[in-house]
Amino acid sequence: MVTDISRIRNFCIVAHIDHGKSTLADRMLELTHTVDQRLMRAQYLDRMDLERERGITIKAQAVRLLHEGHELNLIDTPGHVDFTYEVSRSLAACEGAILLVDAAQGLEAQTLANFHLARDAGLVIVPVLNKIDLPAAEPAQRAEELAHLLDREPEDILLVSAKTGEGVPELLKAVIEQVPHPEGDADARLRALIFDSAFDMYRGVITYVRVHEGTLPSNAKIRMFATGVTSDAEETGVMAPEATPVGSLGAGEVGYLVTGLKDVHQAKVGDTITLAGKLAATEPLPGYREPKPMVWSGLYPADGNDYPVLRDALDKLKLSDSALVYEPETSMALGFGFRVGFLGLLHMDIVRERLEREFGLELISTAPNVEFHVFKGDREIVVHNPAEMPPGGDHDRVEEPVVYATIITPVEYLGAVFELCQSRRGETVDMSYLTPERVEVHYVLPLAEIVFDFFDLLKSRTRGFASLDYEPWGFQEAKLVRVDILLHGEPVDAFSSVVHREKAYVYGKQMVERLKELIPRQLFDVAVQASIGSKVIARETVKAKRKDVLAKCYGGDITRKRKLLETQKKGKERMRRVGKVDVPQEAFIAALRVDEGGKRR
Amino acid sequence: MSDPAGIYVHIPFCLTRCGYCDFNAYAGLDGLKPRYLAALLREAELAGPGWAGTSFGSVFLGGGTPTTIEPADLRALLGRLREVFDVAADAEVTIEANPDTVTEASLAAMLEAGFDRLSIGAQSFDPSVLAALERVHQPASVRAAVLAARRAGYRNVSLDLIYGARGETIESWTHTLEQTLTLSPEHLSAYALTIEPATALGRRVAAGEVPAPDPDLQADMFMRACELLHDAGYGHYEVSNWARPGFECRHNLGYWERRPYVGLGAGAHAYRDDVRWWNVRPPETYLERVEAGELPIGGSESLDPSDAYLEEVFLRLRILEGVPTSWFDEARYEPFVASGLLRDDLGRLVPTERGLLLLNELVLGLTA
Repeated sequence: MVTDISRIRNFCIVAHIDHGKSTLADRMLELTHTVDQRLMRAQYLDRMDLERERGITIKAQAVRLLHEGHELNLIDTPGHVDFTYEVSRSLAACEGAILLVDAAQGLEAQTLANFHLARDAGLVIVPVLNKIDLPAAEPAQRAEELAHLLDREPEDILLVSAKTGEGVPELLKAVIEQVPHPEGDADARLRALIFDSAFDMYRGVITYVRVHEGTLPSNAKIRMFATGVTSDAEETGVMAPEATPVGSLGAGEVGYLVTGLKDVHQAKVGDTITLAGKLAATEPLPGYREPKPMVWSGLYPADGNDYPVLRDALDKLKLSDSALVYEPETSMALGFGFRVGFLGLLHMDIVRERLEREFGLELISTAPNVEFHVFKGDREIVVHNPAEMPPGGDHDRVEEPVVYATIITPVEYLGAVFELCQSRRGETVDMSYLTPERVEVHYVLPLAEIVFDFFDLLKSRTRGFASLDYEPWGFQEAKLVRVDILLHGEPVDAFSSVVHREKAYVYGKQMVERLKELIPRQLFDVAVQASIGSKVIARETVKAKRKDVLAKCYGGDITRKRKLLETQKKGKERMRRVGKVDVPQEAFIAALRVDEGGKRR
Repeated sequence: MSDPAGIYVHIPFCLTRCGYCDFNAYAGLDGLKPRYLAALLREAELAGPGWAGTSFGSVFLGGGTPTTIEPADLRALLGRLREVFDVAADAEVTIEANPDTVTEASLAAMLEAGFDRLSIGAQSFDPSVLAALERVHQPASVRAAVLAARRAGYRNVSLDLIYGARGETIESWTHTLEQTLTLSPEHLSAYALTIEPATALGRRVAAGEVPAPDPDLQADMFMRACELLHDAGYGHYEVSNWARPGFECRHNLGYWERRPYVGLGAGAHAYRDDVRWWNVRPPETYLERVEAGELPIGGSESLDPSDAYLEEVFLRLRILEGVPTSWFDEARYEPFVASGLLRDDLGRLVPTERGLLLLNELVLGLTA
């Protein structure tokens, strides 16, 4: 049975990572008796193992809560900057958003960015301060800050404790009262937005949809606008929170659809589902965008024989990860592998971890890089692998991706933030005071400068108080050069990197110093050089090995000695050869590891 | 007659345990000595029939510290070996000695008992190096021991040296070599200190308390030894061994020439015709087995042709006898000849001094 549209509320929770979104969702599940008290567990909605381990939500889900004659659809949004586009699609499925802010910590940049997204999408904002039970909570001050941001009165801000449940009934009431019901013609042709998709081993691609117009019956023959794929859908249903089949989903409703498809690339987030054939809508819903990888890295099996395993693993992973992009590539140093595109470093980590854990692979990955656009004459080359960049400045210009960054910081750290952004080639856009103590700063920054260690540095220089969010902001020309690393005169393609001209020297020096420690001594001096084109900018020498003989070899030593030689022989066989130089696997792994500071967000 | 075989007898007793030593040796087990000596005699009887028809050209009493055994017992032991095994009348009979455990009288008695080659664990003439090695003796003891041996009538004396311990410089090592030369030993072994993980020193290096020896400095020390000993008239006949002409250790050459040897005592190894076997290591276990009338074999291995080939290559290279060029593709050895690590000596590949230092690389490169 289709619910009366006036009794439906579709909303999401916009919150920073530790501000209590999952706990609040738990209380709502309890209060509305959606989950039996006996089955309740913490962070109920964060399903996947990976999510639970990392404490963040990467898959949006929609839960139907029935409360006082209303159907409340809570749409979960991803909480990481890698997934901004997915956030925007989740928002497009809602009419309202709970802006949830930690009463102790205040607004964070990510929350603010998502708040802007929500407001720009026309959502009604229900502002809430959480964790009012904490001794460090400053509800009055934070309410002031939120009211200022929203141009409302501090009294409009709801106070809750998701932990104790205090204020949650009032919040549900506010959602019903303040969030408008969806609008949509139930008799129009079907247009349903895919705001998330998942791959199930047994049932294939499952999409989470918001029906904007028309009705989505069970077992419909459906068509995807962006991909043009048609399919016989197998089931429609709602998450309550377990999957519960329903006969159909009406206009304004949110639920899931078992599409009958086998590849998530055929049902992309942001795409519009309509019915196949004569009943098809003519126009898709607005706002669809192809997932765009931001960060690229070469993935190689540590054991070259595992290449087919890696290929199959990526093919399998792709079925459930619509953002995963890869193409085969060959490295002189690392052999056969793939250049893989990721939404961001977190996405990269997740993919790597799944490849290693689910497929038992041992991988070498090259240092991640962004995409570059190289212009020469009327030609434009898109470079995903630094080794493909023309060497030695043989081009007219290079463009790199930049982002529009939002940083919120206490005033006293403003200087530190400026300094960091300047050192990362940032350009100030503007700044404004949220309160007399807290400032919102906007910068345009090269993606390459912030994707690795920027967040950690920002945190450490502001004692953890500053927060960051960013969104893609196109491409910008930059003085970028390719720095090559040569071993004994042979360039090692896996070590090539594209860096800003002014940082090339420091980078080159770091790399050769690091490699000097990692490359075992050979029978000859090995020059480790960094170069731009033919110009050497840094050099170290791995001095020739002089002694490896074992001093004693008498009757009782011979067996041991022979076994040692056999072990060494096997070790040598596992080494990669670069020209005349033997480089152990471990040296590649260590040299390509993102800097100590380059840990993830 | 085939090449003469060797007899090795292991004496596991020591006065103290040195920090770098990973041999099968124990301090404080002296109470076992009588049983152990009896067991050696018994083991010789048990092993003897297996070696019927083999003639032995050398006996080597190693340890441990064999000179912790009374000369009378040593005499009895050697007597038993000559009864059980076909030991040549002119066999080379070596005993290892710790400088502090010998006197002129005991040396004379050992010589009289038939131990005509004396190998003294000198290690260094630098007191700080001896301390770093946790050796209890002083340089003066070495000098005294050598002089006593000469007075006792020894005409074949070898000194063992160790270089590269913590704090040792090239100057200090040169001094040690010069002091050694003043004693005119017939034979000299100079070993680069090797850190074995299962030793007190190894654990301290692993824990970062003591630096590992610097291999480059050890290489310099090796080259210095080559130079000084060559100038003093010693022939370099194995990686770590030098001798006056005719005084090369026949027993040890047997290991490297892959001649047969029998091993008696705890943990001793034996070898014949591509089969190697070894006795159980703990002295108590060894005693129990022998006293039960069994051969105390703890393990064995049979070399397949590729094992035998690898041993042949690395052992022949160690003794500068070299291996025939015809065993390898020219492309394999040519780079080593070109870089001066091997020389082509009338169809045999022989390591140079620099090549000896990099013997593992040479073996791996040749046999890859």
